[in-house]
Amino acid sequence: MYQFLLTSRYLTSRIIPVLAVAAVALCVALVIIVVSVMTGFLDMVRDSGRTLMGDVVISYPVTGIPYYEDLMLELDELPEVVASAPLVETIGVLRMPYPRGATKEPKMVQIWGIDPARFDKVTAYEDTLMWPEVPDAASYHVLRDEQYGPVVETLDDAQRIAILRASLSNTTEVSTDSQVLDLGSALTGPEWNEHLRYVLLTNTGVLRDILEPDQIDALQRAISVEQQRDTAENTDLLPTSMAMERNGTPGIVSGIHVSDANYRDRQGQYQIRADGFWWLPRFEGALTTVPVDASGGTLEPETMIMPFINEFSSGVYSVDEIRVMIPIHVAQQMMHLDEAEIVDEFDPLKVVATEPARATMVIVRGQDGIDVNQLRDKVSQAYQRFTSRMAEAHPDSPQPPIEGVNLGLNILTWEEQNAAFIGPVEKERALMRTLFSIVYIVCAALVLAIFWAIVYEKTRDIGILRSIGASRPGIVWIFLLYGLVVGVIGAFIGLLLGWLVTRNVNSIHDMLAEPPLWLGWSFAAVTLLILLWTIIRSFSGRILPVVLGVMGTCILGAMTGLIFFLDAQGGVVIWDPAVYYFTEVPNNIDWPNAITTMIGAVIFSLVGAAIPAARAADIDPVKALRYE
Amino acid sequence: MSEFTNTPLLEADSLHKTYQMGAVNVPVLRGSSMQLHQGEWVTVLGSSGSGKSTLLHLLGGLDTPDPGCGEVRYMGKSISSHGRRSRNRYRNREVGFVFQFYHLLPELTVIENALLPGLVGSGIRTDRQRALELLEAFGLNHRLNHRPRELSGGERQRVAIARALVNRPKVLLADEPTGNLDEQTGQEILDLLRKEHQAGLSIVMVTHDQKIAALADRVVVLNRGQVEETVSQASSAFSY
Repeated sequence: MYQFLLTSRYLTSRIIPVLAVAAVALCVALVIIVVSVMTGFLDMVRDSGRTLMGDVVISYPVTGIPYYEDLMLELDELPEVVASAPLVETIGVLRMPYPRGATKEPKMVQIWGIDPARFDKVTAYEDTLMWPEVPDAASYHVLRDEQYGPVVETLDDAQRIAILRASLSNTTEVSTDSQVLDLGSALTGPEWNEHLRYVLLTNTGVLRDILEPDQIDALQRAISVEQQRDTAENTDLLPTSMAMERNGTPGIVSGIHVSDANYRDRQGQYQIRADGFWWLPRFEGALTTVPVDASGGTLEPETMIMPFINEFSSGVYSVDEIRVMIPIHVAQQMMHLDEAEIVDEFDPLKVVATEPARATMVIVRGQDGIDVNQLRDKVSQAYQRFTSRMAEAHPDSPQPPIEGVNLGLNILTWEEQNAAFIGPVEKERALMRTLFSIVYIVCAALVLAIFWAIVYEKTRDIGILRSIGASRPGIVWIFLLYGLVVGVIGAFIGLLLGWLVTRNVNSIHDMLAEPPLWLGWSFAAVTLLILLWTIIRSFSGRILPVVLGVMGTCILGAMTGLIFFLDAQGGVVIWDPAVYYFTEVPNNIDWPNAITTMIGAVIFSLVGAAIPAARAADIDPVKALRYE
Repeated sequence: MSEFTNTPLLEADSLHKTYQMGAVNVPVLRGSSMQLHQGEWVTVLGSSGSGKSTLLHLLGGLDTPDPGCGEVRYMGKSISSHGRRSRNRYRNREVGFVFQFYHLLPELTVIENALLPGLVGSGIRTDRQRALELLEAFGLNHRLNHRPRELSGGERQRVAIARALVNRPKVLLADEPTGNLDEQTGQEILDLLRKEHQAGLSIVMVTHDQKIAALADRVVVLNRGQVEETVSQASSAFSY
């Protein structure tokens, strides 16, 4: 067919079809990127709902549900239920190890008491843990703790004053000994390590004068060990799997954004400030919470000092910045929700009853693909069976709350639990889809305009083809085929472009936040080259090169300016994790949407091409041949 | 001429053609008649605006006469009554056009331009051998993969003639084929046409140039849309 020959030649020998392909590609890429990010966002919201709290949540805040173990037995009997886990949720204050001024930084936190093994079966707890191994930078500091820490502990006041004076000569020259000592007492162990190490490396003479020989020996050993950088010793800091204790002490697993010491770098990896010094599992934190008694009144605050065991990253910023996990039995103790004996009012030695342990939440995971509303109803029925059974089994003890009677008791699906958040996102995506459907019309209009120009330009060719016997439908087919090819190539280039941008959306976003200056300088250099070329070409007397040169200079100059402007502004963060819940921009292609978009682009390219094609067929061949 | 049969190969019978230019009707042909016999070379001589190109377009089925005002007959049958399909086929198989401005497709190579009528007519099957023979005969075999813009005017016109002849038409319709060429090159084109004519090709050529008209078997003089005289000049045809 001559149409194929002409279409392929028209495509490869002209600039105009390249413009048409580019227009279609940009339209397709635009829709794919926007809808993919929105869909990814929605999926993340849905997934996070499940990974954070399972499918169905039974909650009774503050006073909690007694006999929750019996409830879970009841739940586990349901064939729809895969696993269930108890939780104790409360709020508290966590004193972070790093200082704020002279004191430790206090943080408002949400405390989740969990049973890690059971919690992991319902959520994906283990997958969210941050540190399967000691980060490289942190390991140096772990090493220093081990080597210098014992020496620091043996220092007396006079030695401490001398070391601080040597280390902080500027600030301590005018201070009295007691002032220097006060300063020293505010320092943490690791900070003392650093001061001692600094003096050891810069002014060993001072140390020889003030330290005992065995302290000197220990320091020399420390230096040599440090030089060997034997990090293998440090792995005992890591928990085995999901264990929440270190050396028998229960510990804290905190959200990755609870500690201000963690930040995300340009590659999206978490880094630790101060060259790994503030790696949280090296430190301890003091967790304080206020227990509530059975009548709803508050009791004395409970405080526990616990080591940080690990950190977790759920991907949901608002969770990661506030939640800390501790073992459920510790949380129950702190909240006075643990099992207790009720004694006789007049005879404290006489035990009248046993107060059962309580959990404020029980989370349930259903089988994959199960309808969550159906599961919620089953769980609700199981809960009713549980309450009536408890009423029989423990008639004299406190009873679990009853659904519909105790209004604080909620049995909700994760969607209902997150409804306030999921609803708007769904609406937003629908809105985006509708708005961006206009892009199809733009696509058709662009193809129409460009093909109109092509037909105009090819009028004489059409006359020639008619003169050698081409039929009018034959002429229509040339342009329809042309439109089809432009649409298909444009759609695939658009897919590629959309795929590239979507996959790398986080890098692009990070680039906006921290504009790479090398790119700015390269743009500046290219701008100068184009400007030079423009000036040289302006002597040739032709206008087009000058116009193109000026436009190129302006566009690249603007890009250069933008990069340096962004840099001066400290970058822009569009996807602010504090606003968008998630720390990463979703970067998965929404394939069904992408394919629909591509088909739409091809159809609308054909629609755009049809009108010029019909016009081409209607051209009077005699007039077309006279056309020059 | 005694060698011609009584039925003309191609015949224009009192053609009228009026063009609408804005509100004014401009009559271009006013009852023009002419005949072309098998193997004959007829030149239509006329000044600019005499309607000679229009006559050629009507003869080639590229345009239709005013409704009810004359007809073009090919081998005794009216081509206007055949319908669009067979007129496309007529243009593709029975006649070949050659234009003053060559009218090659700029994106196609020489060989592709020459093959185009084959592609248009039969779809996939083309007579590549025929196209190659013609181009070789016209001295273009070293130019096969060149684009028209790389060729000289004479070369372009030779490609156009090869294209016109590739489907072995009986009639060649040439519209001032040398009008855009210098005398030397024009002469080469005319020699080439004469050779084809001697091989049996019937030709209708339109020109305003008396000297070129002298080459034909017969000259039809067209003035303001009407045939004024027919000059038979068989004796002079081969003396050129």
